[in-house]
Amino acid sequence: MSGFQRFGSVEIHPDRRELRMDGKTLTPGSRAMDVLLLLVQHRDRLVTKDELLERVWPGLVVEENNLQVHVSALRKLLGSQAIATVPGLGYRFALEPSTGPAEPAPARPADEAPAEGHHVLVADDNKVNRLLLARSLELMGHRVSTAENGRQALERVRAGGFDLLLLDLEMPELDGFALLETLHADPELRELPVIITSSVEGVGPVARCIELGADDFLHKPVNPTLLKARVAASLERRRARQEQRALVARLRAQLPATPARAAAAAPAAEAPRRTTATVLALRLPDLAAADDAAASLELLDACRTLLHDAVNSHGGQLVGEPGDGLVAVFGHRATQADAGPMEAVRTALEMLEMLDMLNAERGALGQPAARCAIGLAAGEVLVGPSGARWVCIGEPVQRAGTLQTLAEAAGRAANGEHTVLLDEAVHAAVAGRVACEAVKPGSVAVPKGGVHALRS
Amino acid sequence: MNDDIDPQAFAELQQQAGADFVIELIETFADEGPQMLAALQAAMAEGDATGRRRAAHSIKSNAHTFGATRLAELARAIELSTEAPDAAALQALQDELPRALQALRTRAGAQA
Repeated sequence: MSGFQRFGSVEIHPDRRELRMDGKTLTPGSRAMDVLLLLVQHRDRLVTKDELLERVWPGLVVEENNLQVHVSALRKLLGSQAIATVPGLGYRFALEPSTGPAEPAPARPADEAPAEGHHVLVADDNKVNRLLLARSLELMGHRVSTAENGRQALERVRAGGFDLLLLDLEMPELDGFALLETLHADPELRELPVIITSSVEGVGPVARCIELGADDFLHKPVNPTLLKARVAASLERRRARQEQRALVARLRAQLPATPARAAAAAPAAEAPRRTTATVLALRLPDLAAADDAAASLELLDACRTLLHDAVNSHGGQLVGEPGDGLVAVFGHRATQADAGPMEAVRTALEMLEMLDMLNAERGALGQPAARCAIGLAAGEVLVGPSGARWVCIGEPVQRAGTLQTLAEAAGRAANGEHTVLLDEAVHAAVAGRVACEAVKPGSVAVPKGGVHALRS
Repeated sequence: MNDDIDPQAFAELQQQAGADFVIELIETFADEGPQMLAALQAAMAEGDATGRRRAAHSIKSNAHTFGATRLAELARAIELSTEAPDAAALQALQDELPRALQALRTRAGAQA
């Protein structure tokens, strides 16, 4: 074991995947850690983007933006000087190694085994099948537990600790279909990937399993090469989902907590209502005009995930998504009546912060930034679900749209900066809590009641 | 060796799990197989189509694992039969199980 490697105040233990800075343990996501370890391992040279994508996401097609977000998260943790960008090519770990001995790392508890493989539950009533699957998985380096019927499997899954379930269909007590349904209906359990292993014939059962949430289907006798590939793919998907959630949680943790997050976490059944609410209208105005159409759409896709998350995390509701724009409403629920303006402003600030993270990476690669124009307006609206989507109508929606258009013009005039414009009602509700400035006459066509620009 | 065992399937199983482990697996099947047959016999006697299909399915599944092709075919016929299979079908399966087990032990011994 090589121990901690020191780079100034940064210490990295590649075997244990531990990272410390100024003596404090840092916990980047596992993907960010993969990126970091690869850069440290090859710190004498440039590591290309393709190499990073291939090594960190083996066998998967992954957008380059994902890599940029992870590098950005690492820079935020370690300082921007830690990772150098070679525009258009890749990255290089830029901290110099320290020559002095590393301070001894805290000892790992004796009962804590190093992380190896994953914990897989094999549920099959047939002993030969059970033994063979367990053996095959163990030879792949995984830890295996078994269950002889569906009920036992459900008890074990509920007890927790599994990364994957291999499930037979024909089982006594609770068969595979019923177990799948139970897992799928339980928000705590539905994230567990399930691979069906069965010798049932015909495509009907396969289709039913996929509908019920199974990740994959393997016919018995299970081909070992397919087993290995599909287990790896399922675990990879799980890891990607966990990593994405962890990254969003980490980004969110850096922002001030708001009461509306609790409301957003537990949405109640909604009925259409006429109420005072705040409308946020956003557009990314430069994308449509960019030369590289494919890159623009790729960036739009990456931005959407971040923007949706910002809306959701502040109790907002998406009510429209025209082209490169987005409209959301805040404070429309009875429980958050007065919170609308502040939550909408916080959402706008969170959107700008996340876009800035993406832009920092794009700028380093010589790509243009994604500029954002936002208008916020409050007033009486009619809002509620309509079929599968939500609608919001009323004068504030138009006003927010007008402000967003003005924000585009103001942003262009200010050398392409993000611009957020507030109407008088929103400004009155947030004044003193966030920094604003009245927009000067002449810089934009100011509507009646005045317009204020948010200073981020 | 003409013993109704698919040599490629059996070799792949040995490669997948290890030759020694396959010997253990055959002995497990030797323990479990008669219980599966007894469950099948009972289900057929009671006219329990679900029980009959499940027991025959288990035998078929294990037979496929070892490459015991004739045993698998006989079990599959009983599993997928839309009407209650006759006693001859069950008897053929009962006769084939020990033959298949012996053939598997021979192969495992010869190649282990």
